[in-house]
Amino acid sequence: MESPASRVSAAAVSTFDRYSKAHTRMTTAPASHNVLRIDNLALHFISQGDVVEALKGISLDISAGEVVGVVGESGSGKSVTALNILRLLPRSKIKIPHGTVSVLDRDVLTMNENELRKIRGGEVSMIFQEPMTALNPVLRVREQMFDVIMRHQKITPDEAAKLSLQLLSDMKIQDPERVFMAYPHELSGGMRQRVMIAMAFSCQPKLILADEPTTALDVTVQAQILNLLKERATATRTAVMLITHDLAVVAQLCNRVYVMYKGKIVEHGKTRDVIGKPQHAYTKALLNALPEGKQPKSRLETVAAVMIESATGEKPAGVKTLTPLKDSGRSAPQAKFVRFGRGQPIFEAVNATVRYPKKYDFFGRPVSYQTAVDHVNLSLFEGETLSIVGESGCGKTSFANTVVGLASLAEGQLKYKGKDLKDHDEITRREIQIVFQDPQSSLDPRWPIWRIMTEPLTVGKKPSKKQLRDTAEELCEMVGLDPHAIDRLPHEFSGGQRQRIAIGRALSVHPRLLLLDEPTSALDVSVQAQILNLLLDLQDKFDLSYLFISHNVAVVRHISDRVAVMHMGKIVESGAADQVLSRPAHAYTRTLMDAVPTLERAFAAA
Amino acid sequence: MSSVSAPNNATESINPFNVIARFNRSKIKQFTNVEIVIAFILFVTIVVLAVFGQWLQTHDPMQGDLMARFAAVGTKGYLLGSDHLGRDLWSRAVAGLQWSMACALTANIINLFIGTTLGLMAAEKEGWARTIIRQFTDTMQSLPFLIVAIVVVVIVGHGFVPLVLTLGLLSWVVYMRVTYAEASSIYQRDYVKAAHIAGVNRFAIMFGHVLPGVRASLFVIFAFHFAGLLIAESALSFLGIGAPLGVPTWGNMLAESRQYLLKAPWMLLVPAGAIVMAVITMNLVGDGIAGLARKRGRSIDV
Repeated sequence: MESPASRVSAAAVSTFDRYSKAHTRMTTAPASHNVLRIDNLALHFISQGDVVEALKGISLDISAGEVVGVVGESGSGKSVTALNILRLLPRSKIKIPHGTVSVLDRDVLTMNENELRKIRGGEVSMIFQEPMTALNPVLRVREQMFDVIMRHQKITPDEAAKLSLQLLSDMKIQDPERVFMAYPHELSGGMRQRVMIAMAFSCQPKLILADEPTTALDVTVQAQILNLLKERATATRTAVMLITHDLAVVAQLCNRVYVMYKGKIVEHGKTRDVIGKPQHAYTKALLNALPEGKQPKSRLETVAAVMIESATGEKPAGVKTLTPLKDSGRSAPQAKFVRFGRGQPIFEAVNATVRYPKKYDFFGRPVSYQTAVDHVNLSLFEGETLSIVGESGCGKTSFANTVVGLASLAEGQLKYKGKDLKDHDEITRREIQIVFQDPQSSLDPRWPIWRIMTEPLTVGKKPSKKQLRDTAEELCEMVGLDPHAIDRLPHEFSGGQRQRIAIGRALSVHPRLLLLDEPTSALDVSVQAQILNLLLDLQDKFDLSYLFISHNVAVVRHISDRVAVMHMGKIVESGAADQVLSRPAHAYTRTLMDAVPTLERAFAAA
Repeated sequence: MSSVSAPNNATESINPFNVIARFNRSKIKQFTNVEIVIAFILFVTIVVLAVFGQWLQTHDPMQGDLMARFAAVGTKGYLLGSDHLGRDLWSRAVAGLQWSMACALTANIINLFIGTTLGLMAAEKEGWARTIIRQFTDTMQSLPFLIVAIVVVVIVGHGFVPLVLTLGLLSWVVYMRVTYAEASSIYQRDYVKAAHIAGVNRFAIMFGHVLPGVRASLFVIFAFHFAGLLIAESALSFLGIGAPLGVPTWGNMLAESRQYLLKAPWMLLVPAGAIVMAVITMNLVGDGIAGLARKRGRSIDV
């Protein structure tokens, strides 16, 4: 990928030269019509004497009006690439051994802060992942938009206000006046992201860097936002660099795509070609790791063991050795794929209703309530997976909390093996376990993992340390972790490994019912595939019942026997997974399904 | 690192010697932080004086020699001079240090205990219990410390025990607030929820997950609060409502020095210097602990 020319030019730019003799660079910079051109760029992070190579010579170009995707896992260097275009990385912590970054044929690396300030927000603007933190919580939208507009354009406040309202209504915001005067916390996540995009477009930029702009949003909102972004970019002939880990989003939106892996660009080309006929092993593996379009419950191919190991140090997925736990008393797994409606339901919800107090009177007694879960009826049979799908705020997490006893029902009943769950006794506490979404916060950072994994075993008993450590080793084997690692602390593990630890902890007390609260949504695609494989293997082996809560339709389709779609606290549709997700009957389910970007649909449209 | 075959200018950053040198420099810097060294030396000095003070005093701190009144600093036998009754100021300062340290340490431990307990209780218990504890804390903070102290002394009388109890029972608010704030956030974490779901009992959660999470902050406050208590103790003694009159404490020494300010300024400077040194030391120690906690926190808490 390194042309002789780029080598020469790179050699010419010593660190010293870059800051002192900017003009010499201009003569060597190749003339082009690209809005953005990155040439053989390497970037190292330096912290406390350690050098981390974040980028290892990447080349990339984007021309006007193009939407270009940059795909890769976390840590692949895609965000660093974007931040470096605006020189937003701390200069004392990075070193650029070679390479150039030019925006509109001007070398960004040689610019001083004053010149950069003109580019930032003016010619190049950025949209961040988390609109809550990207907007200033103490300023109204008006002030924040003014700040950007007035800095880059010489116009009066009146004109700026007019322009802002125009931009907001361009973003299909129904009531731009209200949004204009609102504080960020008064807006929903999707609305905040619209404001962010409106601000990004406010100074007629030539290039927009969008760093996972919809990852924090619900699918239905995501679809709207992505369409808006594309529409505005086409209308204004703005180039967009879309950074994402979601191949389906890329397929739907981008003309061209770059695939990044460990600081290198391993493949690039037209989206259709790259995703339709991937050449590089990593791209292929990434596509194969997607649950989409695969036989439900089949093992997903994980990104080749070699690549994973070199990338994250994580062991290849799967249950390797199947040592049964002592006195497990588990029934042997029965007929493998016939899980649907077998025998008695292990868990039932009858008219389950959860209300949260909304207003309090003077004495702190609630006077009005908000209904989070509204007369939900569900039943889960032994050994099957029931998924609850819905957007955030639909009540699925509130429901999960009542199942494990973190919240109580206002009405109705939850039954476990025919018994009322109201008073969680010792048996139900043991047999119903939960795996949380965020493996960062679900493990005590100060505890070694053997202690974490065996914590449930210490309830009411005092097993010896040796027993606990032995059990922890077995659990590690079971969830595919190295049993020698039980003395390490959680921060020494990657996200996927931590989720394995959390699953191990849940398994320590031989549960019958596992509540999985978005267990893969904080993980990369390839790691997600490993965790899904692990969950399916464990279900096969121990005949577990899963109550799976997710907003990711592809994952749900892959893992579920039955699906219940939840909307505003109510179950609007339920039935066999295949039927509900392929032939949705309820209007909301259809909206949900249509919103999900899929490779299939993207190609059909193209 | 050496696998990079970059053009010439890259060599600076990847030269192995350079990397090693930079690594060493950062390590050395880490351990030779001037502040920490000074804090450590001062701290050890104070501990030695407090523990072995009996043997380091050159005179009986209570016994005056009227022939040697107002001996200046450096007079033979009187290293830091003597006071209006001819008592050795060095010995009195050391005795004062022992008194102050004992007093501040005991009061601090009482503070730590009360504040942390209430903070944990408030964080764990929702509803009226939390409200009562928080209101109680606010009330405590609003009490005028000196006036309460005067009332206590009037009722109970002078002495070590009344002084320690006054300090110990009145100034735990800072511990409560910090414990409450940090514990509340830990109670929201999923690992506490997971423990709760598994049926781990309240106390195991409190002492297994929550308290260890607050611990680092408690150490830091302990050091800073120690300095505050030293000052409070001296202030009370200076006003005559702390240590009984005649007992060699820094506050009493300051009070006595007032009448001889021009004649024997060292009578003021010795206890004042001692207070300043002790307070600075404890603050430096606090900074040091805070720095260590931050460093640890970065790698552990992400």
